[in-house]
Amino acid sequence: MKAVFLLQWRRFYRQPLLVLAMFVLTIIFVSVSAAGGEEEPVFVPVYTESLKQEQVLEWVERLNAEKQFAFKWMQPSEARSYVAEGDVPQAVELMEADYRLLVGREDPARLALDSMLRRVYSEELRLEDAAQEVPEIRELMDSALSDPALQLSAASLQGKGEADKLQLLFGMTLFFVIYTIMFSLVRIVDEKRTGTWNRMILSPVRKWQMYLGHLSFSFLIGFSQIALIFLLFRYAFGFEMGDRFWLLLAIAACYTFSIVALGLMIISLIAKPQQLSAVIPIVATGMAMVGGAFWPIELVTNEILLTVSKVLPITYGLEALTSVAVYGNGLQSVMMPLAMLLGFGGICMAIAIRLLEWRSVS
Amino acid sequence: MLKTDKLTKKFKDTLAVDNVSLELRKGESVGLLGPNGAGKSTAIAMISTLLKPSSGDVRIHGKSVLKDPGDMRRVLGVVPQKIALYEELSAYENLKFFGRLYGLSGKKLEQRIGYVLDLVGLSDRKKELVKHYSGGMQRRVNLAAAMMHEPEVLIMDEPTVGIDPQSRNHLLETIRRLNHEEGMTVLYTSHYMEEVEKLCDRVYIMDRGKVIAEGTKEELKAILSDQETVWIEFDQSYPELFKKLSEIEGVQHADVEERSLKLMIPKGMRLLASLFHEAERHGAQVTNVHVQTPTLEDVFLRLTGRTLRD
Repeated sequence: MKAVFLLQWRRFYRQPLLVLAMFVLTIIFVSVSAAGGEEEPVFVPVYTESLKQEQVLEWVERLNAEKQFAFKWMQPSEARSYVAEGDVPQAVELMEADYRLLVGREDPARLALDSMLRRVYSEELRLEDAAQEVPEIRELMDSALSDPALQLSAASLQGKGEADKLQLLFGMTLFFVIYTIMFSLVRIVDEKRTGTWNRMILSPVRKWQMYLGHLSFSFLIGFSQIALIFLLFRYAFGFEMGDRFWLLLAIAACYTFSIVALGLMIISLIAKPQQLSAVIPIVATGMAMVGGAFWPIELVTNEILLTVSKVLPITYGLEALTSVAVYGNGLQSVMMPLAMLLGFGGICMAIAIRLLEWRSVS
Repeated sequence: MLKTDKLTKKFKDTLAVDNVSLELRKGESVGLLGPNGAGKSTAIAMISTLLKPSSGDVRIHGKSVLKDPGDMRRVLGVVPQKIALYEELSAYENLKFFGRLYGLSGKKLEQRIGYVLDLVGLSDRKKELVKHYSGGMQRRVNLAAAMMHEPEVLIMDEPTVGIDPQSRNHLLETIRRLNHEEGMTVLYTSHYMEEVEKLCDRVYIMDRGKVIAEGTKEELKAILSDQETVWIEFDQSYPELFKKLSEIEGVQHADVEERSLKLMIPKGMRLLASLFHEAERHGAQVTNVHVQTPTLEDVFLRLTGRTLRD
């Protein structure tokens, strides 16, 4: 078994291109998509006909405290010109106790802008009212905010936050590693074609040792790919993956096992390398689409697709990784997906061994 | 030493090997001769325990290998018809791997690699990748890989297919040396009659899954001891003349090529007078006449009515 295992590394050393390509592709896809996910604040011109300069500057500072929009004060004629020429969909006229939107065209962000302006204005007007009764209200509020009794943080899988970046990272990593593992297993079929497999059969090495040599290589190369990508994105790209990195690696190991077993089952069903080259991309892409690697599974509403996703290892791999990295859950909460991954792998392995044995006897 | 007893293999409705019984004695070189599709490779696959026979048995040192192929695999070195090597690795790396499969390691492994590379004449190019080798060199590494574990019996399934004459001669000389100088038992299959004639002490002739004749080369040729072959060459093709000569009374078989004719006739038959008479009548010029004793090719032709390359 050791000789077969070492041989695969030697062959990898001589032909590393496929594995490296999958590794690099994962990095490129995740980096580009995650960078594209960083939204720039929307530029909004601000003008006034009635406020003094100091008042306007205070309002602009207050509004810019919200990161979603970038407000910039300018002369009324300039702001109108921006809107008239279609450079921006809208501008805001600031008034003493109100605001007005100057709209040039329809914009999906308008509702959010209007809602934000209303909230900021309401808060400010309420504070001004309160300051008439308690003049030091602003100092009291700043002091309370600097040392809050309770901190509330919100996380969501929608939008372009950390969670979204992690979803992208996990999805792409689990997707590309399918190729690495399955194409490394194609070597078994290739060896049967070239005759080196028969040479091994004629040696004292047992058949199960031959398979184990191949499977352990595929497992290790797949697991290493996932682990290296996770490490790279955690330490080089600063992705926040929670405090249980070891658990992420354990999930990756279970997932890799299930994909190795699935690959072996496919090989036991399809004996020709050319056919496998066509089937592997279909299986990998199909699993990734339905299993939530390209978009969060929460966005899928079709009952049939959701049912299919329940029998795919990538679904459980992503569920477990997200649970640990995004929600900070521990081993207890991912026991079920891990059991599903191991069970799936076990069933595929059993079917594959039966089929391969049956084929070699017949 | 190695014996097969009524070995039979049936694939669905096709009887690939039919009751084949062979015997290899220690140190001898045995040829398995037959045209493509005769069942040689299937017989080899069963003897080397890669394929389970439908019926019959294979014995090594008197012990059946069907239940426990281990004994056979330890003593057997198989050179497959295909080049079964890792072409992205060097010859040295290939041999190292195949040696490791047999438990060789360290100094012993290195010594063995050195020996087999010397044997096939590739020591100075051992670090080159197999895919950069010529077909002949790849065939030589194919043989070297089968030699790594010092087998007692070497089974070779058409090891010279598709290689240049120089590499072919090198390979045949290596096999001859292994058999004559090192006493290795060799089972050599081929459809090249001249290879089998050159290498083998005894020959089994197979056709359509069956052994149709066996014996030493001399014994087999004795089948045709009452015959001789006349090979006549003309200045150009004369289809009508060739037909006429083929129909001369006493001619047992005629093999027509473009400008030549090969006739099998009873020993002592007076053919030449009729030949020159007919040639003159057709205005044909005879450029060469050669009377030869039968070859294994002629034996095969006589037994099957076909040539080895049919």
